[in-house]
Amino acid sequence: MTYVKNRLRRTMMFVPGNNPAMIKDAGIYGADSIMLDLEDSVSLTEKDAARMLVYEAIKTVDFGVSEIVVRVNGQDTPFYDEDVRAMVKAGVDVIRLPKTESAAMIQKLVKDIEHWEDEYGIEKGSIGVMAAIESAKGVLNAPEIATATPLMMGLAVSGEDYTADMHTHRYPDGRELEFARNMVLQAARAADVYAFDTVFSNMKDTEGFYRETNYIHELGYDGKSLVNPRQIQMVNKVFNPSKEDIEQAKNVENAIREAKAKGSGVISLNGKMVDKPVVEKATRVLETAKASNLIDEEGNYIGE
Amino acid sequence: MDQVVDLFLSDASTRKKWEELLSSLGLHDFSEREVDVIDHTIGLKDEEGNLVGTGSVAGNVLKYIGVKNDNMAQGARFNKVVSSLMQYLVNERIFHSFVFTKAKYATSFEHLHFNLLAKTDTAAFLENGMPDVTDYVADLPKVEDQATKKVAAIVMNANPFTLGHQYLVKLASEENDLVYVFVVANDASLFSFDERLELVKAGTKAFANVKVVSGGDYMVSPATFPAYFLKTPADLIKVQTVIDAAVFKNKIAPDLNIHKRYLGQEPFSKTTNFYNESLIDELGHDIDVVVVKRLQENQEIVTATKVRQLIKADKLKEISKFVPPTTYEFVKKNMDELQSRIKKGMKIDGN
Amino acid sequence: MEIKTTAVAGTLESSDIQIMISKGSNGIEIDLESEVEKAYGDQIRKVITDTLKSYGLENAKVKATDKGALDCVIKARTLAAAQRATETQDKPDLEVL
Repeated sequence: MTYVKNRLRRTMMFVPGNNPAMIKDAGIYGADSIMLDLEDSVSLTEKDAARMLVYEAIKTVDFGVSEIVVRVNGQDTPFYDEDVRAMVKAGVDVIRLPKTESAAMIQKLVKDIEHWEDEYGIEKGSIGVMAAIESAKGVLNAPEIATATPLMMGLAVSGEDYTADMHTHRYPDGRELEFARNMVLQAARAADVYAFDTVFSNMKDTEGFYRETNYIHELGYDGKSLVNPRQIQMVNKVFNPSKEDIEQAKNVENAIREAKAKGSGVISLNGKMVDKPVVEKATRVLETAKASNLIDEEGNYIGE
Repeated sequence: MDQVVDLFLSDASTRKKWEELLSSLGLHDFSEREVDVIDHTIGLKDEEGNLVGTGSVAGNVLKYIGVKNDNMAQGARFNKVVSSLMQYLVNERIFHSFVFTKAKYATSFEHLHFNLLAKTDTAAFLENGMPDVTDYVADLPKVEDQATKKVAAIVMNANPFTLGHQYLVKLASEENDLVYVFVVANDASLFSFDERLELVKAGTKAFANVKVVSGGDYMVSPATFPAYFLKTPADLIKVQTVIDAAVFKNKIAPDLNIHKRYLGQEPFSKTTNFYNESLIDELGHDIDVVVVKRLQENQEIVTATKVRQLIKADKLKEISKFVPPTTYEFVKKNMDELQSRIKKGMKIDGN
Repeated sequence: MEIKTTAVAGTLESSDIQIMISKGSNGIEIDLESEVEKAYGDQIRKVITDTLKSYGLENAKVKATDKGALDCVIKARTLAAAQRATETQDKPDLEVL
């Protein structure tokens, strides 16, 4: 496995690192990313055992097409160093650093990863990093964190710890997260990295889940963190491009193909110039459509 | 997914929810005797926050385990509760645990690698972890060709060791090739376990064929036997005796070639008398029970209870009539300490 | 490698295996409880034994309670228990896995 900077990341499913049953099945739900957790979901006395289990799982379990992210313990804990070493050796795709508050923390993580890549003869740059933003300080420093390293994959808002730090808690309407969500998203977009929204843990409130997912999709988030596999299809549904979007994207692709065939440097569609953001958006739409089985191999629309 | 949480029974509303859950599962005895010994309790909460399972630990004994609607895959909730309790014990450096439970639940525990030590119609006694009863028996001192020897056993609390105990040991020593004296291992008595063990050793030094050993966790004492799962508290002595006898007969005696057990006759205590009689019943054909008449001193029967009463009454001189010099010296030296234990509430009328 | 204390790793939950290790003197002695003992008992024992040997333990008493664990889980739990028993859990020996 190797880190790929750009790929589909609508769903990042949390899996407790000391739970073999959940780890074993994690690959069957079709999450874009699986986040194996060594931090909050593992009790202090089980850190060593969870680290070994996750290490062994990464090396042997088939996680399908999912990207493998591991959340290590924080840099202020005695578990961090061994967590990073084990995950580098296991060949994880991305390491997620909790409680990130500065660029320096990310740079330390990258240095530590490189140290172990050296040690184990692994090619540099084969592991990406991502930052969990869980405090007021982290939110305010989001821009420097997002640009801390070329290996930055993305930023994730973590609502529980952040709201505690802000002397509030989660509310159904999410207003308490408004600033953090926007700040983190701005920072991620400006740095050209991914942005992930926080988890929604009340499994019974389906309506609330859709409301929140629609909202963050509208804001421009790339994906959402999940605690339950049942939420994967729900997120995908929200992130599905419309039939019109897909048609438009196909037209952009056709325009590019035509321009290339003609050897023309300028790509135009319906009299307008097709520039980089338009091309990227089209690529994203078609990728998502393909992953959600909305188009077939030839690009024909097969959604409802 | 259900979540494991710590429950603090000192909190009135938690205690109420806990009792309600267990009552709905058929457990109703929440007496001080049963609940006060609990060291730690955990709960299992479902996704909506309802208490759907619980379990407790008292020393190395699992208690009050109950789960609701465990119709998920093969007792997932039950396994989770027991697993969490064991994890708690492991963190307390306890690797060997026990459970006394309704007979019908024995199999559920056996699936979790608990080994059955004894079972009656109503109750079962199981253990888990290391070292287990096989290790315990293997570690006991043995003699050459033990299988061909006449081997006897005496189980005593010896609180403290008296001339009566000494007389019983002497008799057994004379009538057999080898005698095991099992000292009941709990600290629910006026004399601590270590003190009792040392005094038994000191008082039997003269008998070369006597081995004084700890009864480990396998001499089931009524003092520590949990009764919360029994129908009535009155069942306690009966169930405890049967369990105790069965463990001795099936798990301890065979490998040590023990075929005789000596008991002191019980003239006063109805309970002990009942215990002796059920023991004779239970040990049956495999083990001969020899009931020895109590030693008398100037028409007065020698009992440890009497000695403890004299300690309380501060009559050191009189004690010397009932105990060997080794016990006497210890009592003399520690009179203040022993009396302060009584003052602090240590009961002396039991055993 | 020397066992200093009894130690446990793993749980009794589905797909896991609980491994308890203590000092032994008779090679690797395994007491296994598993619902799939008939079909997989030998394989489970082999994974445990191989893991302990490659970690450098020749003697140990092992009590294993299997709830349908994959080999990778058995390996991870066995090594975690062994490192706890040898009081080296702070320095995970990943070469064994």
